[in-house]
Amino acid sequence: MSRVAEWGRRYAALIRNAWLVDLQYRASIVLWLLWGVTEPAVALGIWWAIAGDGQVAGYARADFARYFFALMLVNQLTIAWDSWYLDGWIREGELNFRLARPLHPAHEAVAENIAYKARTAGMIVVVWLVVSLVWPAVRLPLAPGRWALTAAAVLLAAAMRFFISFTTGLLAFWTTRATAIMELHAGVSLFLSGRLAPLALLPPAVAGAAALSWFPYMLAFPVELLTGAAQGTAIVKGFAGQLVWLGVWIAAYHVTWTRGLRRYGAVGG
Amino acid sequence: MRNAESQWRVVPRGQARGTKPIMTFRIPHSALRILAALWRLNLAEELQYRANFVASVLGTLFWIVTALLTLAVFFSHTTRLGGWDYWEVVVLLGVFNALTGVIEAVLRPGIGRLAGEVRSGGLDLVLAKPVDPQAFVSFRRLDIWRLTDVVLGLALAGYALHRLGRVPSFAQLAAFGLALVAAAVVVYALWVVLMSLAFWFVSVENLSVLFDAVYEGARYPVSAYPEALRFLFVYLIPIAWTTTIPASALTGRLGPEIGLVAALVAGAALVLARLVWRTALKRYTGASG
Repeated sequence: MSRVAEWGRRYAALIRNAWLVDLQYRASIVLWLLWGVTEPAVALGIWWAIAGDGQVAGYARADFARYFFALMLVNQLTIAWDSWYLDGWIREGELNFRLARPLHPAHEAVAENIAYKARTAGMIVVVWLVVSLVWPAVRLPLAPGRWALTAAAVLLAAAMRFFISFTTGLLAFWTTRATAIMELHAGVSLFLSGRLAPLALLPPAVAGAAALSWFPYMLAFPVELLTGAAQGTAIVKGFAGQLVWLGVWIAAYHVTWTRGLRRYGAVGG
Repeated sequence: MRNAESQWRVVPRGQARGTKPIMTFRIPHSALRILAALWRLNLAEELQYRANFVASVLGTLFWIVTALLTLAVFFSHTTRLGGWDYWEVVVLLGVFNALTGVIEAVLRPGIGRLAGEVRSGGLDLVLAKPVDPQAFVSFRRLDIWRLTDVVLGLALAGYALHRLGRVPSFAQLAAFGLALVAAAVVVYALWVVLMSLAFWFVSVENLSVLFDAVYEGARYPVSAYPEALRFLFVYLIPIAWTTTIPASALTGRLGPEIGLVAALVAGAALVLARLVWRTALKRYTGASG
């Protein structure tokens, strides 16, 4: 029990610290947020035009609006910038200071993620509420059970994206193009994680391939859980997929961290 | 000893041969000479990193493939986007990519660094130079490898035009050329206006993100957007003039006279940007004093 309390205290301090740092950069954070929502906004604009007064594979205009609003929120709650930070830390040696601290650097990264997401997702929720006053299409049904499930799925997705980003950033131990690998991952995720369109709108072969990867579980699944598109067995399958892939990425992180650190020590002497 | 002495005696050119020093008078091509010198230096620097050329080309090809697949997804559910068919939108993508090349080669490494310099006071070093600060800040760098985007983008537009089965007339090609240059000018003006905000919002160092957010809308023809957004993109944030208009001029969707209209719009944008820049610069007080 005292161990839990101690970790609670540590995290409270780290999150408070990260929150205050972000406060300094709140205008910059608003711009990153704006940048983050333009892609789904443009995608929504295009699907809006294509749907017209009819439907596209069961999606009418209002469904697209709900889908992409949910996507904006879930994306903001699960996005992880860590690979860019780690790439810089490793190349410029800032990792040294962080390794010298009595706490694993990942904890600080997690705390920064929590503070950042609390701030940006809060802003999106406020904007969403205001928009839903004038635009009924984006209103969500009041369903506490579903919201709780979504919260759990978002947490798992955020954890997975954190480990993906962290692990990819660690590749900077071996290559100078770790961020390029992350860009590549982002390019593929545009299609397979549902950022461009609901997965049901992709060609069946592509959607089938996506289901075998981790991509749908980091975004599309929590989004469809929130909008209500995911029902019954799809929910069970979604959570199972999330847990499996989270385990895989934690293992990948573990291997990369221990091997990379050994290599780093050898170089830094 | 003699050498050292003569070094001391080096006099400014204006005072040589006993003439009185006159005020520095900038002849127009001195600006071009400075530009040529800066870019030559950049070129020498960049040529050391040839692997970046390969990385840049691969990055661009990846981007083009992603954009084409995106279109394929949209067009698997429709035959037209805002009244444009598939290959017409690909022409537009080519224009978008060509302009991206201009942005990444010149604007982002040049004026894109302004926000950081206003914040740190590094702009002092620019203002102390006897050159026009806007021109210097804007065109000081040339990341030569990114110009491959311009070539690849135009090649893509050309290929799409071929697939459309259209051979542009001379008037259409001229209008396209004019509209494309105008588009680059409009993009430049947008950068100047957005980056000038740095003088008001000193603590915001990622201002260039604002441009990326706005420019995201230029990936598709403006006719695909709802009415209100279309108005915004044509008249207020003029990104319609960056991709939709040049592509329309090339495919013949708009008559050749649109080239002249685009040139006028570009001229107006440039004047406005200059005014905003001058107002903004007056707020600069430096930080290193």
